[in-house]
Amino acid sequence: MIEIRNLYFSYSNQSMYVLNDINLVVNRGDYISVLGENGSGKSTLMKLILKMIPPTAGNLKNDFSRIGYVPQLFESLNTQFPITVYEILDSYRKTLKIKDKNCIENALAIVNMSAFKNKLIGTLSGGQRQKIFIARALMGQPDLLILDEPSSGIDINSQDEIYRLIKKINVEQEVTVISVEHNLKAAMDNSSHIYHLKNGGGHLCKPVDYINDYVKSSTGGRGNVSI
Amino acid sequence: MFQYSFMQNAFIIALLISILCPVVGMFLVLRRYSMIGDTLAHSSLAGVAIGLMLGYNPIISAFVTTSVFGVLIEILRTYYKKYAELILSVILSLSVGIAITIISSGHAHANVETFLFGSILTVTRVDLWTVLALSLFSIAVIAIFYNQLVFITFDEDGAKIAGVKVKWINYIFALLVAATISVSIQIVGVLVLSSLIALPPATALQLNKGFKATLAFSILISMINLISGLFISYYMDAAPGGVTAIMSVVTLLCVIVFQKFKDHIRQK
Repeated sequence: MIEIRNLYFSYSNQSMYVLNDINLVVNRGDYISVLGENGSGKSTLMKLILKMIPPTAGNLKNDFSRIGYVPQLFESLNTQFPITVYEILDSYRKTLKIKDKNCIENALAIVNMSAFKNKLIGTLSGGQRQKIFIARALMGQPDLLILDEPSSGIDINSQDEIYRLIKKINVEQEVTVISVEHNLKAAMDNSSHIYHLKNGGGHLCKPVDYINDYVKSSTGGRGNVSI
Repeated sequence: MFQYSFMQNAFIIALLISILCPVVGMFLVLRRYSMIGDTLAHSSLAGVAIGLMLGYNPIISAFVTTSVFGVLIEILRTYYKKYAELILSVILSLSVGIAITIISSGHAHANVETFLFGSILTVTRVDLWTVLALSLFSIAVIAIFYNQLVFITFDEDGAKIAGVKVKWINYIFALLVAATISVSIQIVGVLVLSSLIALPPATALQLNKGFKATLAFSILISMINLISGLFISYYMDAAPGGVTAIMSVVTLLCVIVFQKFKDHIRQK
């Protein structure tokens, strides 16, 4: 479980809070999509949960012991980096001191990428690369999976496949999922809850409530919108 | 030529540094830090000058000084996150400033030119043992931290989240770069040392292989460059640093042409 109470965060050289009085509880088995405009503090919130940065004020309690992280695709990857899929997963396995070498094969099988084991990461498509990062995150048998815009820069078909995979991991392996999203449709289809960040503050709601608010704000309360 | 003990020493050192330089260079190049290698190579001259002034072994004093500058770069990086190149200017100004001041004032009691251009004539048995000890230490450290280094180089944030002590490993790596530079300056010289650090990985990258294979090719290419550089420089009576630098670029060009030719054949 993650429990965030009255959390504030500002970067050291700025006086304004990026996150302002955040309250959020994430229970085991939840699938939470974090939505919000660019600069609303989504990635900062993830960094706080991942303990990459400390909060300025407030409490953040994180009971999850094994966290798998899937970075944003285009932000992190140098496509000319000379490394094979197997080498990526093996360096992760050895860093985590996982003795069972089969965990690499197992993780690749889950994401249906066994045939790509010896390929260079730079030769894979965006969707295939994202699946490799999901496989890497799964190798540590995480109880919490954090994804940063898992569908950005990926074609529609691969997006569907990736979200089916994340949902399957959430339901069948009971892995709690927190996903920073720009993909509204995927968030509506898969999430148990939406956490909407706006002007530094946030609120948690069910997808159906979020979409009702969204429709109202988009149409001025007059009609329907399609997503 | 191998009847001379200095040549035997030079070749043993050349073999050691042709393993060490591309291994360290591979991580530097892939982290886009090859200019840090170049800056530290130049800053090692300050260490050499200090050693020669105080009468210490210049390789050891270069190692200590370059380590200090390497750690200083890591510390300054937290202050200039978005302007990394500025840090290099600061370090370069300080280190080269120290070197020029000591050398020009006549306090360095030996020929500094040896360390600028590289020389095989001045390599003694003591140098050989010093280089051997530093090289074995560096290779052992790389072997211990290899997986973490690969992980950090590929995905630094991911490594932090997975619990890798990135900051400490960066400091250890700075010491490794310092050790690599200090063992190499005598043969290759300060001015073209980056040709030994950056060019073999740059050449091996053209082959489009995985990490371990690229590393292995980097070492092989480095050996070809250095050994051929030593042979040619011996017969030309020239400084080995310059010839090795030229050989490094020649090998790079050969590999680029070979790859183009291979692609051309494949497309037919």
